[in-house]
Amino acid sequence: LFSPFVHPLTEEGQALMSIKASFNNMADVLHDWDDVHNEDFCSWRGIFCDNSSFTVISLNLSSLLLGGEISPAIGDLRNLQSLDLQGNKLSGQIPDEIGNCADLTHLDLSDNQLYGDIPFSISKLKQLEFLNLKRNQLTGPIPTTLSQIPNLKTLDLAQNKLIGEIPRLLYWNEVLQYLGLRGNMLTGTLSPDICQLTGLWYFDVRGNNLTGTIPDSIGNCTSFEILDISYNQISGEIPYNIGFLQVATLSLQGNRLTGKIPEVIGLMQALAILDLSENELVGPIPPILGNLSFTGKLYLHGNKLTGPIPAELGNMSKLSYLQLNDNQLMGRIPNEIGKLEHLFELNLANNHLVGSIPHNISSCTALNQFNVHGNQLSGSIPLSFRSLESLTYLNLSANNFKGSIPTELGHIINLDTLDLSSNYFSGHVPASVGYLEHLLTLNLSHNQLYGPLPGEFGNLRSIQIIDMSSNNLSGSIPPEFGQLQNLMSLILNNNNLHGKIPDQLSNCFSLTSLNLSYNNFSGVIPAMKNFSRFSAESFLGNPLLCGDWLGSICRPHIAK
Amino acid sequence: TAGDEKRSRGPGSWPPSCRSKCGWCSPCEPVHVPVQPGMIIRLEYYPEAWRCKCGNKLFMP
Repeated sequence: LFSPFVHPLTEEGQALMSIKASFNNMADVLHDWDDVHNEDFCSWRGIFCDNSSFTVISLNLSSLLLGGEISPAIGDLRNLQSLDLQGNKLSGQIPDEIGNCADLTHLDLSDNQLYGDIPFSISKLKQLEFLNLKRNQLTGPIPTTLSQIPNLKTLDLAQNKLIGEIPRLLYWNEVLQYLGLRGNMLTGTLSPDICQLTGLWYFDVRGNNLTGTIPDSIGNCTSFEILDISYNQISGEIPYNIGFLQVATLSLQGNRLTGKIPEVIGLMQALAILDLSENELVGPIPPILGNLSFTGKLYLHGNKLTGPIPAELGNMSKLSYLQLNDNQLMGRIPNEIGKLEHLFELNLANNHLVGSIPHNISSCTALNQFNVHGNQLSGSIPLSFRSLESLTYLNLSANNFKGSIPTELGHIINLDTLDLSSNYFSGHVPASVGYLEHLLTLNLSHNQLYGPLPGEFGNLRSIQIIDMSSNNLSGSIPPEFGQLQNLMSLILNNNNLHGKIPDQLSNCFSLTSLNLSYNNFSGVIPAMKNFSRFSAESFLGNPLLCGDWLGSICRPHIAK
Repeated sequence: TAGDEKRSRGPGSWPPSCRSKCGWCSPCEPVHVPVQPGMIIRLEYYPEAWRCKCGNKLFMP
């Protein structure tokens, strides 16, 4: 009875062999799909059968690097409840026959290279609860008929190339909980109907081409936990009714929103993330935002906000990210910022801030990134900075800071970027900076620093960029610079450096950008190890320097 | 969902109270959790929602 000669494979077994044949299965991960040696397909990899009927109810071939296409024979697996082919390299179209798998509840074809339209036949799958087609190359519109799947709870079509409008009928699904449409090319407006989605908690249309305004009815979407409409072309003002939302994440960034930040947002204490950045918002930051004592991330950067930074923001005791950069904020940095003990990133760059950095910034011991580039801040670097031991990024550039660079900066051992350029810093460059072993970028250019380049810089084993141009540095280039194997850019122009360019510099094999112009270097440019890759422009304005260029003092002797 | 207590009147919201949301486990407290269903690559930025946490277990508010 079990002989293969008298027991032809069932229809499902044949379907499975057709499905296998349309995969091109490089690694032969389906070698046990073999009807000659083992016709019990229920034991084949990835297949689960019903215990009594021995029909295929689940097919899971996720993350097996399968190529090829999905065979139309999939439609012959009439009892299939779950199909998971995510994370392969499948191309071709989704076969229409998928609509014949009438018992499907779970369909995951995400992370493949499927193209073509989403077949209308999917709407025949009346039992479907989970549909994930994320990260494919699907084109065409979202089928309106998807709204006819009565039990659909999760619909994720993100990161495809879908066009057209979001079907309005979709919004009338009372069981839908998750709608992911991020990263397509969808157009049209946010329909007032979105609040008919009474069961929805996740609404994500980030990165499409949606236009129009945020509907006033938005406040009725009280089941939403996450509302992400960022990176579209939504215009108009943020409606007052947004204050009725119960969301934990409100992402409106990268749109064309105008008007002021509504005060009512300060009552939305369930907010974990508030992102209004990269819009065209005007007016002040409402001090009432300081009420948001459970908010961890506040992004208001890239607007046209004016007025001061409200001291009340110091009450946002859970805040870890505060980005107010690229606005037109005025006044001083409030001392109350020092109360934010969980603050990880503080970006105030490109505003009109004045005064000094508050000393108690040192209380922000979790601070990792501090950027005040492009303001009119003054005073000196507070010595208390040394307690900011977690700092990896420090940018004070393009302000009016003065005084010396404190030795203590060299104790912030995790720094990868130190940018103090375009200020009025004076005095010697502290040798301690040379012990910042993780430093990648050091920019001290356009200050009034004098004295020698510390030989300790030879310890900066990670450094990629050193820019000390336009200061009054003197002395010669320490030979220790030759130890900097990752150095790509050494910019020392417009100083008073003198002496010979050390031969050791030719050991810096990563060096691609060198500017030693307008100093007082003398002697002959190192000739070894391809140092000739640097053109005359690297050495201009050193009248006593001998090199292979027209007008050099020793040009006749070096002719090749 | 978040804000059960303050619904109905006026605008505004509040984190979930998490009262008796963790079964017998205590203390049960509201926390932010990142939501990236089925994500393979971590996005530079991903949304967060409220869940109730007790020990290392998460519960729906």
